[in-house]
Amino acid sequence: MADNKRTDRPTYAADFIKGDTDSAVFLGNAHIDNLMTVVIALGSEIWADRQRLRIVEKLLSSKGKVTTEMVEQYVPTEEEKAAWQAEREAMVKRVYAVLARDTSKARPFGEERQFN
Amino acid sequence: MIKRRTLMGTGAAITGAFTSMFAGRKAEAAKSAKNSATYPEGTIAPRGSFGVLERLPALDLEARQDFLTAFRAFANTTIARNAQARANELVKGAGKTPTELNQAEAIELLQDDPLVAMTSKSWLTAQQLMWDDLKNYFEANADRYYSEMEAVDNRGPGTLELNPDMDIPEYTRHEIHIQPGGYVGHPFAGHIYHYGTNAFYTGRNYQDELHRGAASKMPVPADGKVKRILDVGCGIGQMSMALKERFPDAEVWGLDIGGPMVRYAHLRAVERGVDVNFAQRLAEDTKFPDGYFDIVTSYIMYHEVDPTGTHASVKEAWRVLRPGGVYYPLDFKLKDVPPATAYRHYRGWMDHRWNNEVWSPKFRANGLPDIIRKAGFDLNEEGPELLRGFGVLNATKPA
Repeated sequence: MADNKRTDRPTYAADFIKGDTDSAVFLGNAHIDNLMTVVIALGSEIWADRQRLRIVEKLLSSKGKVTTEMVEQYVPTEEEKAAWQAEREAMVKRVYAVLARDTSKARPFGEERQFN
Repeated sequence: MIKRRTLMGTGAAITGAFTSMFAGRKAEAAKSAKNSATYPEGTIAPRGSFGVLERLPALDLEARQDFLTAFRAFANTTIARNAQARANELVKGAGKTPTELNQAEAIELLQDDPLVAMTSKSWLTAQQLMWDDLKNYFEANADRYYSEMEAVDNRGPGTLELNPDMDIPEYTRHEIHIQPGGYVGHPFAGHIYHYGTNAFYTGRNYQDELHRGAASKMPVPADGKVKRILDVGCGIGQMSMALKERFPDAEVWGLDIGGPMVRYAHLRAVERGVDVNFAQRLAEDTKFPDGYFDIVTSYIMYHEVDPTGTHASVKEAWRVLRPGGVYYPLDFKLKDVPPATAYRHYRGWMDHRWNNEVWSPKFRANGLPDIIRKAGFDLNEEGPELLRGFGVLNATKPA
């Protein structure tokens, strides 16, 4: 059992049974699994920066100035929301399509030592 | 739609804004809170809402969640399709047809294939990153989120009942779907669940569309009388509120074992002005009088309940329904399910073992329709279908 009660305020949280998914290794080596996690997490960080940049550009071109508050509070139009979603999907496809590659014929480098 | 953080802000802004809000001067309160700019120096002001969805409190967090939602959709489609094709090749290579293997054989054949493994890893990683990012944000800003809930715990519309000393069955304590702390174990379980499941639904439920759609199709008793409705395993109350929207004159109750879940449900109901009562209670032991309700339902709860809890919950639903009342536990389809392919067997196992869908296999083997019939209900498995692709368990307590 694990707990999550780290405050004097009422949390209404109870003890829970911790899962063990962190111990799962899918790619043959825990470090490779970790790197895969890093790669996906970095994608989310890049997208966050891209989103921020896009809003900054929009505000600068439409308002001529920008503050952090303006960026954080920016409400996209329906057209922008749809466009951003399409861009996200395109970016994911562009960057991660290789993960869907059939690797059944892949073999270690150096296995073929002769060039014909 | 009330702007939660516009009204609540932090510190001194909370009391004034809520006093005004519940005195019926919502617009004035919002204007006052916004104009007074009582947010601590160095912090960012509120971000508002889209419809019934309070925006995530920071642009970076919102953007990362958007990205993970897009990545999840990609893993569910492009990567999964290719993995399915690869699995079919492996099955064919083993001299079998796609539906010939049992689950153990399918796992043995597929789990070490690099593409199949990549599918699992990429999907699970998106799931883990999504949960952890939300958890870390809410924990890092705990004071604000405790304050928001504390400000409305004892306010209406609707009521909130929390029972921190109640016995919580072990089966409910798991981190279902690897949600950190599960439904009972994290003080912000409701917040985390809400935004996490938005990613799970890949953007199709930001306005509770699925719950509203299901509620709109809920069958009613033959006499048409719907005075009281019970939603067990209500989570953050999306179905409960959708039912209240459809039956505005009914007394609606949402019960869940997760204290933080119903606490967040109440927060959302208050800010939307929806009069629903939430209580931390078990579906097996609702505390209501015999025959109290006209409709008893649950939204995708039973696959997260152990067999003992399932039998007890159905028995309790029978007890609290009035003769002629409708019992509709919405959950995964159990009837006319096509034979599983090897890949589907593998994915089911992966979901159970590594996505911590602890009770799902038992749910599929448990015979919920028979349990409902044996409790005394007349069971219609033909319709209506509340959610496309989900099971139909439209039961009536004989009049």
